[in-house]
Amino acid sequence: MLVVAAARGLVRAALRAGAGPAAAAQARLAGTSTAETRPTVRPKNEVEQKQLCAFGEYMAEILPKYIQQAQVTCFNELELLIHPDGIIPVLTFLRDHTNAQFKSLADLTAVDVPSRQYRFEIVYNLLSLRFNSRIRVKTYTDELTPVDSAVSVHKAANWYEREVWDMYGVFFANHPDLRRILTDYGFEGHPFRKDFPLSGYVEVRYDDEVKRVVAEPVELSQEFRKFDLNSPWEAFPAYRAAPEPLKIEAGAKKEDAK
Amino acid sequence: MAVAGKGAVSAAVKPIFSRDLGEAKRRVRELYRAWYREVPNTVHLYQLDITVKQGRNKVREMFLKNAHVTDPRVIDMLVIKGKMDLQETIQVWKQRTHIMRYFHETETPRPKDFLSKFYAGHDP
Amino acid sequence: MLRLPAVHRTLAGVAQSSKVCGRTTTTAASNQIEVFVDGHPVLVNPGTTVLQACEKAGIQIPRFCYHDRLSVAGNCRMCLVEIEKAPKPVAACAMPVMKGWNILTNSEKSRKAREGVMEFLLANHPLDCPICDQGGECDLQDQSMMFGSDRSRFREGKRAVEDKNIGPLVKTIMTRCIQCTRCIRFASEVAGVDDLGTTGRGNDMQVGTYVEKMFMSELSGNIIDICPVGALTSKPYAFTARPWETRKVESIDVLDAVGSNIVVSTRTGEVMRILPRLHEDINEEWISDKTRFAYDGLKRQRLTQPMIKNEKGLFVYASWEDVLTRVAGVLQAVQGKEVAAIVGGLVDAEALIALKDLLNRVNCDALCTEEVFPTAGAGTDLRSNYLLNTKIAGVEEADVLLLVGTNPRFEAPLFNARIRKSWLHNDLQVALVGSPVNLTYTYDHLGESPQILQDIASGKHAFSKVLDQAKKPMVVVGSAALQRSDGAAIHAAVSTIAQNARTKSGVGSDWKVMNILHRVASQVAALDLGFKPGVEAIRKNPPKVLYLLGADSGCITRQDLPKDCFIIYQGHHGDVGAPMADVILPGAAYTEKAATYVNTEGRAQQTRVAVTPPGMAREDWKIIRAVSELAGMTLPYENLDQIRKRLEEVSPNLVRYDDVEEANYFNQANELSKLVKQQLLADPLVPPQLTIKDFYMTDSISRASQTMAKCVKAVVEGAHAVEEPASC
Repeated sequence: MLVVAAARGLVRAALRAGAGPAAAAQARLAGTSTAETRPTVRPKNEVEQKQLCAFGEYMAEILPKYIQQAQVTCFNELELLIHPDGIIPVLTFLRDHTNAQFKSLADLTAVDVPSRQYRFEIVYNLLSLRFNSRIRVKTYTDELTPVDSAVSVHKAANWYEREVWDMYGVFFANHPDLRRILTDYGFEGHPFRKDFPLSGYVEVRYDDEVKRVVAEPVELSQEFRKFDLNSPWEAFPAYRAAPEPLKIEAGAKKEDAK
Repeated sequence: MAVAGKGAVSAAVKPIFSRDLGEAKRRVRELYRAWYREVPNTVHLYQLDITVKQGRNKVREMFLKNAHVTDPRVIDMLVIKGKMDLQETIQVWKQRTHIMRYFHETETPRPKDFLSKFYAGHDP
Repeated sequence: MLRLPAVHRTLAGVAQSSKVCGRTTTTAASNQIEVFVDGHPVLVNPGTTVLQACEKAGIQIPRFCYHDRLSVAGNCRMCLVEIEKAPKPVAACAMPVMKGWNILTNSEKSRKAREGVMEFLLANHPLDCPICDQGGECDLQDQSMMFGSDRSRFREGKRAVEDKNIGPLVKTIMTRCIQCTRCIRFASEVAGVDDLGTTGRGNDMQVGTYVEKMFMSELSGNIIDICPVGALTSKPYAFTARPWETRKVESIDVLDAVGSNIVVSTRTGEVMRILPRLHEDINEEWISDKTRFAYDGLKRQRLTQPMIKNEKGLFVYASWEDVLTRVAGVLQAVQGKEVAAIVGGLVDAEALIALKDLLNRVNCDALCTEEVFPTAGAGTDLRSNYLLNTKIAGVEEADVLLLVGTNPRFEAPLFNARIRKSWLHNDLQVALVGSPVNLTYTYDHLGESPQILQDIASGKHAFSKVLDQAKKPMVVVGSAALQRSDGAAIHAAVSTIAQNARTKSGVGSDWKVMNILHRVASQVAALDLGFKPGVEAIRKNPPKVLYLLGADSGCITRQDLPKDCFIIYQGHHGDVGAPMADVILPGAAYTEKAATYVNTEGRAQQTRVAVTPPGMAREDWKIIRAVSELAGMTLPYENLDQIRKRLEEVSPNLVRYDDVEEANYFNQANELSKLVKQQLLADPLVPPQLTIKDFYMTDSISRASQTMAKCVKAVVEGAHAVEEPASC
């Protein structure tokens, strides 16, 4: 141990001593020759990927009624795509099954894809502290279809679901306290929906006459609504194929067993 | 809403609360009643410069704004939002400004005809 | 497309001749040769360079010195590419392709070559990008990001070069120069001013004027655009904005009648600069200095609030309600001949039609333009009589050109650049009747007297033979020549010359000979809409109410009018017209309104709103529309679409944007012109803009511009007269 440390110190000293321009240039040259040739991509771990695939398949076999698809994305992210009816059973199963023990709801959110029939995707990110493993459960809904609240399974879902309700307008059935969480009282609309305008519908200001803050329809002057979509940074698009090896492999996609 | 039509086509849509229009209407009436009763209380609690009559008229106006809705699911959703609104009002989570926003006191009407637009400024 | 100068072309031989004239169709596929770009086959004409072949395959080769409208220099070496089985990389811009070559644009060797070249270029280039005005739109910056090395091996000192003062428009930071010589080639080939060149060699090579002098060209601003680095930047724009924080609006220039396409860059509601926009048929990618630099006139001398003259004869600010009611009241009280209108040179078609409709409601038909045009003969009834019928790009096909009483270099700099291009590449023969002026190309000076026109028309003059033998002759008359008292006779003579040349040369009916070169942007639209050219009618018949719509050339004064005449001025600058008015209505300038302008070819184009009009100023047609409503004769349009519908009713070509409506009836026009009984005067034909100092300030916007004033001072007293303390 001591020897190693001493040796390291020596190397450093030697480097410092020889830090003339020539040596530095050489060092730089050496640096260029061993420069990284590809961008930093998460390395693929075959073992981990296989394990996740196996677990996904296992899950799909156990809960064939709810799990429509199990997939591994970005090499090591296991996803279960489930039917909206199956939220409570699937989450409960994942929490209580001995081989899963996803007891922590790390995150719950939604994604709005207006072109789909069921435009909202509800995403549950779960963490198993026991197995140091994560899983993502996804389901879908639209503006008018209620989704079962996950509060009965994970207490943490309470505020997350309020947030999703506030931002996307997805109604969670049997939620103990569903009300707005981020927007102002009287705010209309759900800001994270893709059809919600960037500038919103109302703007607030203090009105000295009525002595309170008032909200009025937005009146942004026209020049602030123009967007210049030409990027000045994109000369020579043909040569910009730099991060080529990065391909999102869909992993082992497994169709529903049913 | 886009979904309203679709709901009518497929029979297997999951209801929010109400199974049919009658039930949805009942819920609306319940909500309306609750709001109606709450108005004097609100005017008092928030020390609003309006009469109870004005408040009730506003409630009526807000309900009538959605009178054309016939899809029970949409009605249910509106009722849910109305209930939340009512709760926020009863619990005095809101402030005067939030209540008074229903009355659009400070908004000046946008110029409509050519001359008033011309005087008002650069036409957007 | 690459245009080789005459010398190169003769060397290159016959194979190129088909290519030089851009408008003829390309040669048949049979003698095309096949080359490969990264393995993909491309068919190209023989003589095509490697770079062009790659461009055809959709691959852009990095370059600095190569510019497709300039001759090939091949001195930056950035375009080196590997050719399969060739021992060395070749400079793609200068090397013609050979059959079967496989060009490897992104091979290891090509990339290494580029990286090496880039390293050498950066060896002497200062690393002052944060304070460089080119930052964000710099070729060197972009290409070094893309192709350069990510670290430097350079430890020696950098070369420094003294900056040159080449005038009040172009700022030079010559240390940044990479000696691509684009500016030198632009000056000598396009601008026709051999002022720029290199001195010294090797590390000491410098681009400059050798002795300190001004780069005196009406197209000088373009060297800012073609400079790939920050060596040549705009002086008025220096340190004011960055390209990524400006908003770009594609618009049209109205300071001359060419209608150059421009991009207006704005930031925080202010025009920051004006850049050219590509339009092959009008301005290619150049614009004149007035177009580019007169924008600071848009911020000065503006009329921002309505004003009324009080009893003491002083202007006082008023509200729109007050002035409009006043104007409406005055208009209601008059009928027919008691009212007249004069429109200026910067007025758009929408305002013109609104004003015409309004005054027609009070039975008035005395609507005049400031610019005179002869009305005898066919006058303005036939469109072909007042258009540049051959079109600007048509000059490139012509082989003989007769200029009459015009100085296109300053009246329409981009048209002149086209003539020079054609003179350079197609051996265009130019002749001039009028004052001898420097046109940047050689021409036969036939004389100054208009009598010569008579001689040419009757075939007595030697030049008539040249015209007769021409394959594609062109005659261009300056609008100034037609504004003399013998304008109709000149028009008639020119019409006859054109008609004779047309019949004798035997060109098809689609080739037009007769051309009028206008100087102001509004004229063609005004004539299309039926305005009367010239204010003579108003002088003879003084009205009680006069409506000046942007009339700033001072062709009519208070003295010409009765004492109690009520003058309404509507416009954007407090220039010549405003002080004599009783009521001032502030309008919008061309960067502030969506409006239609028709250029001298008869091509309708539209400007777009880049900034909002200052203060209480409003778009011109809206002011007239508001007046009409208050006067109780509401015009039937409320928005832009409706007024353009109305324009379409009157003259459909006004809303067919970027389309040139063919004008014809040359024979009939000529027949009618023979009825003109007017004698040609002996006075020489003198165009109004003789030297470059007359070029800069011609209208209310450029007269308000400080930059243009500096230019005039610099060309009169020398560039040192406007020298500013170096800030960097």
